[in-house]
Amino acid sequence: MLWLLVGPGVLVFLGENDAPSMLSYSATGARFGVGFFIPFVVLTFLMGLVVQEMTVRLGAVTHRGHAELIFDRFGRFWGFFSMGDLVLGNFLTLITEFIGIRAGLGFFGVRPVIAVGVGLVVVMAAITTGRYWTWERITLGLAIFNGLFIPAAILAHPDWSAVGHAMLTWTPLPKGSGSEILLLILADIGATVTPWMIFFQQSAVVDKGMQPRDINAGRFDTLLGSVLAAVFAIAAILATVPLFHHGIDASQFQAAQFAEAIDPWIGHTGAALFALGIFEAGIVAAIAISTSSAYAFGEVMQTGHSLNRPVRDAWPFYSTLLGSACAAAGLVLIPRAPLEFVVLTVNVIAVLAMPPALAFLMLLVNDRDIMGEYVNGFWGNAAGITVTVLLICVGIGFGLATVFPRLLGG
Amino acid sequence: MKSGSGDFVEASQGVDPVAGATVKPDLEDPRVVLSLLETDQVVAAKQKTRFGRKELSLGVRVLLWGMRIYVVVMLVLVVISVFRALHPMH
Repeated sequence: MLWLLVGPGVLVFLGENDAPSMLSYSATGARFGVGFFIPFVVLTFLMGLVVQEMTVRLGAVTHRGHAELIFDRFGRFWGFFSMGDLVLGNFLTLITEFIGIRAGLGFFGVRPVIAVGVGLVVVMAAITTGRYWTWERITLGLAIFNGLFIPAAILAHPDWSAVGHAMLTWTPLPKGSGSEILLLILADIGATVTPWMIFFQQSAVVDKGMQPRDINAGRFDTLLGSVLAAVFAIAAILATVPLFHHGIDASQFQAAQFAEAIDPWIGHTGAALFALGIFEAGIVAAIAISTSSAYAFGEVMQTGHSLNRPVRDAWPFYSTLLGSACAAAGLVLIPRAPLEFVVLTVNVIAVLAMPPALAFLMLLVNDRDIMGEYVNGFWGNAAGITVTVLLICVGIGFGLATVFPRLLGG
Repeated sequence: MKSGSGDFVEASQGVDPVAGATVKPDLEDPRVVLSLLETDQVVAAKQKTRFGRKELSLGVRVLLWGMRIYVVVMLVLVVISVFRALHPMH
């Protein structure tokens, strides 16, 4: 029964537990150990749940994807601005997924070109099924392996009483440079709340054929996804806490380096599980994010945009999906490409691009002409506005820290 | 959630069980129409019917322009921040 209920909600949250997100959580655990960031990560998933529930209602009631609705209701001018944010964010994120795929398999000695090739083959295999349902089941099957971070965390022998204490008291507070703390706060929010999730889940709800009567099932699916993803994210933090206890500087680590660094402390099995988790995170997100771009492109161009459609009927949709994946994979293989730039910026850009995406979401979900009785209630609006204001404040904090580097002791 | 028995229940809401007479669903409401269609029909129907443009109030336009300026400014700051990170001053 559970297997039948789960779908876009679980997929979007486990998809967002992607390679750069797991890298952010790993960096958090290695830098600050168990403390403030454990409940903070739970809070970010609560924010994600508030946002994603709205996309379920929008998709089920209007039967339109998010990009399609923005173009319909706000016109081409605002539609293209919104698409610009999505396309830029999605492509940069897609590149980091292939960096994760390369790094995850690199731990096992797999050559970059083969690792990236494996990633592309999996993306292609998932879309050749010709049915949304089959695609969703395959991707969900892969996404379950995000749970690999749990045994990795257990092998790190976390202090569970400290975890419980941190959850209840939000302490110990992180110590150190204010700008570094702010950057990790931004990265951890960007690891949970991003524009592609809004576009993807709404389009997937439509493609799945959900109706208003399915909204409660969609809510359960989204809640389950957020809980699972939060647990796996905390596991990633706990897996790298030994680096914090042993005073190892992980500030410049990439994904595979985390796996190599924790090897002496949690054992080779734990490190291998961690590396496989990074590979899985990259694969699932590569599938979900390339599909998100393709949905949005199809909706805007008013061409076929469904995984239920054969390739000959919806070739622009499938071309966008595969084209974006191939381009990102190709960039990762270019020697001396500025990949560090992409990894540094991807989660930050996701957070900074989120307030406009939330503004469109809030305006649409309060639009009685299209939502009827399913418009947001008071608490839905209060939660949505709170999340938006919080993200703007964090963004302004980032802006101030950039313009005045000494302000936060950076 | 493909069309199945659930659709039948919803579609049959247009039948009065006591009188046995068929009550026409409100086909003026696009949401009722879409709920009665198969997935492929929904895709086809959507190509023919679109929600109209929303009249944007001054407040909404100010909000959207404010958000747009916010993103552009923040992107510039991201570029500055990354440049600094990649080229630290000694």
